[in-house]
Amino acid sequence: MPPNTSQQEAKSDREQDDLGGLIHREHLPSGRADLAEPVIAHSQRERILNAMAATCASKGFGATTIADIVEAAGVSRATFYELFKDKEDCLQASMELSLADAMGRIVEVYSPDKPWATMVRDAARTFLELLASRPNFARMALIEAPAAGGRSLDMYASGKRVLQALLDRGRSDPLEEEAIPSSAGRGALAAAEQLIVGQILAGNTERLPELLPDIVYIVTIPYLGQDEALRQSREAEKLLQDEA
Amino acid sequence: MPQPRQGERWKPPRGRHGLPREVVQQYQRERLLEATMRIVAEKGYGPTTVTDLTRGAGISRTTFYELFEDKEACFLAAYDDAVDKLVRRIVVAYETEERWPDRARAGLRELLAALAADPAQARLAFVDVAAAGPAAQRRYRAAVQRLTPLFDEGRDFAPGGRGLPANASRMAAGAVVGLIADELIADRADQLPSLLSDLLFATLVAYLGPDAAAREVGEESR
Repeated sequence: MPPNTSQQEAKSDREQDDLGGLIHREHLPSGRADLAEPVIAHSQRERILNAMAATCASKGFGATTIADIVEAAGVSRATFYELFKDKEDCLQASMELSLADAMGRIVEVYSPDKPWATMVRDAARTFLELLASRPNFARMALIEAPAAGGRSLDMYASGKRVLQALLDRGRSDPLEEEAIPSSAGRGALAAAEQLIVGQILAGNTERLPELLPDIVYIVTIPYLGQDEALRQSREAEKLLQDEA
Repeated sequence: MPQPRQGERWKPPRGRHGLPREVVQQYQRERLLEATMRIVAEKGYGPTTVTDLTRGAGISRTTFYELFEDKEACFLAAYDDAVDKLVRRIVVAYETEERWPDRARAGLRELLAALAADPAQARLAFVDVAAAGPAAQRRYRAAVQRLTPLFDEGRDFAPGGRGLPANASRMAAGAVVGLIADELIADRADQLPSLLSDLLFATLVAYLGPDAAAREVGEESR
């Protein structure tokens, strides 16, 4: 419990907003007039989104309240409602930002000149490193957002579809591989997801990059066959060792 | 088995039945667990209240709090109980066959039949459980984990099984539950049984590779 909560509880909503205003003036340079409004709004927005991810990570989205978010962000309730409709809206905005960031990085490693397996490995590696470096967002994006349902779940699903499309480029000749079900790519992604989410729930988010060899194995095997998938997996392992 | 609390042992048998208190409480607990899965599946975890649960199970509030500390504890127990029953069904079906691919097919078929029979609870078990908070999310993972030894028998069956990644069983199980969750989210629970060949492929491919997996899946249609 923060020290000033009981004080705040005794005051009206209006006064709470004032108090929140004080807190955020401490964080920002004084004299709001010197700063262009969008700059302030941008940083407040960012603070709220970070606070959202942090609170979600510690107590789950369901138990998170607006009061938790504004307190962790050091903004007023009024500011929150200027920027977001409700906590679902805030989660969606946070999800949108995380997704755009992740996809941007993955697209960066994508190149038609690279062999498919190398591209998949690099994309997986980038993704795991991103998650490891931002544990709160990892938890929010992979666990809380899909659990919240609605548009957050839709966004999560659309992110998976992009990855799946990337994977499905590994299908070389449709005739040759006709025995492989069309769900093979989706299954491979779900397999990787299970492993990643398990690590996050176990509190090992920072060790996610170590999963690379296993993930390379499971996502390439439907397309390349077992021998080649094992070879790719060993290569990924070597890559990690060389770096260590 | 819930133990009677201290201080209540010396009470005379209540009501008309005159049954031992433990028996009554056990019966009430089972009714409550069954009602909890049914009601939470219907209403969602968040909106469900303890009153909904006591009303649904036909028990008193006092009895509820003798059995569980709160809604979450009750839901977690109900969830574990439902998972226990499901896992038992799967294992029984799995063990009717000899070869691992056949065992996997029998187990998956049983899983799909059970889920298709109760779509609302299937959705709760696989999808909406995540909304019930961090403890419930860990329970779901633990439930999936209970199936991984069945998957890992593939390691003995596969020619190169020993050299496969240690996480193969977790990943195969993840593919299976992920594909099931996709169907449930898309409201296609009634079509779950037709997912059998996709799930079998997802299970076998992790151990046998795509060609052998596709051959095994093809055996079914002959």
